[in-house]
Amino acid sequence: MTQLSARTALFAVLGMVWSVVSQAGIPDDPFDSPMWTYNLNKYLGDNLSVVIDPNVRLEVPPFAEDSAQVPLTLNLESFSGTVRKVVTWVDLNPIPHLFTYEPGERLAEVIALNFRVQQATTVRAAVLDSDGVWHVGGAFVDAAGGGCTAPSMTAGNPDWEKEFGQIRSGAFSRADHIRFKVNVMHPMDSGMVGNIPVFHIEQVQLKQAEKAEPLLAMNLSESASENPMFVFELEGNDPDLTLWMRDNNGNVFEHNLGENTGGAQ
Amino acid sequence: MNARHRLTALVLLILIPLFPAVQAAELRYGLKPVEIAPGVWVVEGRTENFSRINGGNIVNTAFVITSAGVVVIDTGPSRQYGEELRAAIAAHTDQPVTHVLLTHHHPDHVFGNQAFDPSTLYALPATREQLASDGEAFSDNMYRMIGDWMRGTEVVLPTREAVPGELVVGDHRFQLMAFTGHTGADLVVFDETSKTLFASDMVFFNRALTTPQSPGLKVWASELEQLETLDFDRLVPGHGPVVYDGTAFAQMKDYITWLDSMMTESARQGLTLSEVMGQPVPSRFDTVAESQYELIRTVTHLYSHYEKASLESAMR
Repeated sequence: MTQLSARTALFAVLGMVWSVVSQAGIPDDPFDSPMWTYNLNKYLGDNLSVVIDPNVRLEVPPFAEDSAQVPLTLNLESFSGTVRKVVTWVDLNPIPHLFTYEPGERLAEVIALNFRVQQATTVRAAVLDSDGVWHVGGAFVDAAGGGCTAPSMTAGNPDWEKEFGQIRSGAFSRADHIRFKVNVMHPMDSGMVGNIPVFHIEQVQLKQAEKAEPLLAMNLSESASENPMFVFELEGNDPDLTLWMRDNNGNVFEHNLGENTGGAQ
Repeated sequence: MNARHRLTALVLLILIPLFPAVQAAELRYGLKPVEIAPGVWVVEGRTENFSRINGGNIVNTAFVITSAGVVVIDTGPSRQYGEELRAAIAAHTDQPVTHVLLTHHHPDHVFGNQAFDPSTLYALPATREQLASDGEAFSDNMYRMIGDWMRGTEVVLPTREAVPGELVVGDHRFQLMAFTGHTGADLVVFDETSKTLFASDMVFFNRALTTPQSPGLKVWASELEQLETLDFDRLVPGHGPVVYDGTAFAQMKDYITWLDSMMTESARQGLTLSEVMGQPVPSRFDTVAESQYELIRTVTHLYSHYEKASLESAMR
């Protein structure tokens, strides 16, 4: 009994020390998620400086009508600092990470895509500024769930290869910005469905002609939805950009995003 | 185990059986059929979304007492609802129920069918197929949304085929019509004898329409044009109050046209799904319940078609 109490006390003290160490610089979670600190440390590292920032605007619906296709729009139009990096994740998904984005010489102020939810969960976007501070925005989405472990529509379609890799795109002028929308037919299999191995697009880049550095580089994880519809809005009115994507099987998809590729012109 | 633990365990053992007694407070819908024409009765539901408070009583069901049996149109969201509906019918007539017409496969319309003789259950063949494939998922979701009201509810597939055309039961002549706008298989029942149009979910009135299996808003709108030509005196919508003129059609067409043009224009401007979900519903639809909620659902179901149409395609 005495031995047990001593051990319990030791664990309690260690626990307190651990929580003080790991949560230094981490404010309380406005959504009270059990994965708050864990995912911050997992995706952003230790010894973090974190602030809750309403200017990291994450738009998701209050509930997921389709747990395999939940829309997310990250809007950084009112974010005042310099964006070094953006990391997004879905707290309670089996693989929470959704995407990591590193801007090139210009920022994509709006990024949108659909994600999967396995259960009702908080969704996060963390933006690293030039002072090394992570600005975190979040939103809660209610859901029946199961989006990560449901077979893709593609998996049930014997003719899937006919459409595989088909790309639709459009460019939309918005005042001094340009918005690109790209839809690519890809099963984006999460690897969490029996006998269907993981098969998804991992890398997305916006490349400028004659420049080595991409204008946008994004890494995607299993939480991204099937047949993704990517939206990127950038400052300026670019003529020649190429969208380049690669999946985990080495398939490369490239597509020119000229201004005259559809949309409202 | 020391004495205190034993005491705690004993107290818990005594308490456990008390809780089911508390939870088992009987859930009842208290259905009140209203006679809208001689022998034609409607049970009007709320224009709300599913909740544990309304138990899914958000739908209209109806029955027509003929000289040769009762024709029931839809059966409500749960076994409990179906049983109460059957009891309510029996309170007004001694005639047996000979036909239960299931207008489409959505849970709020069919899940009460378990309370009726399986040999009286009629539906379009496509409705039966849809219920066979979606029924269990609907059931899971219904348990999530209305909880204990679903107790004992199981998916029952109709055995009889509803054939479009004339159906004569005793002194009533019905026209059965097959449409697709709401779910791909929508049965509309017109009682020519009383001139009552049971429009099923082809018509929502003062309640936002739903689109999970809709083939598209344009299809729905054109089918409404056909339906509107019928010579009816009163219309029972799938959701919302009974109407006696073209008001419900006018509202439906206005609402569908707004949805269609709003999504077309949003896609033309390159808006994202989340941005379209946040679009305001015009104030002229203030009487349409749940419109902002249903907009989120409809945009999820349909916007990607509008988006793809606005983009230029290229093969890899």
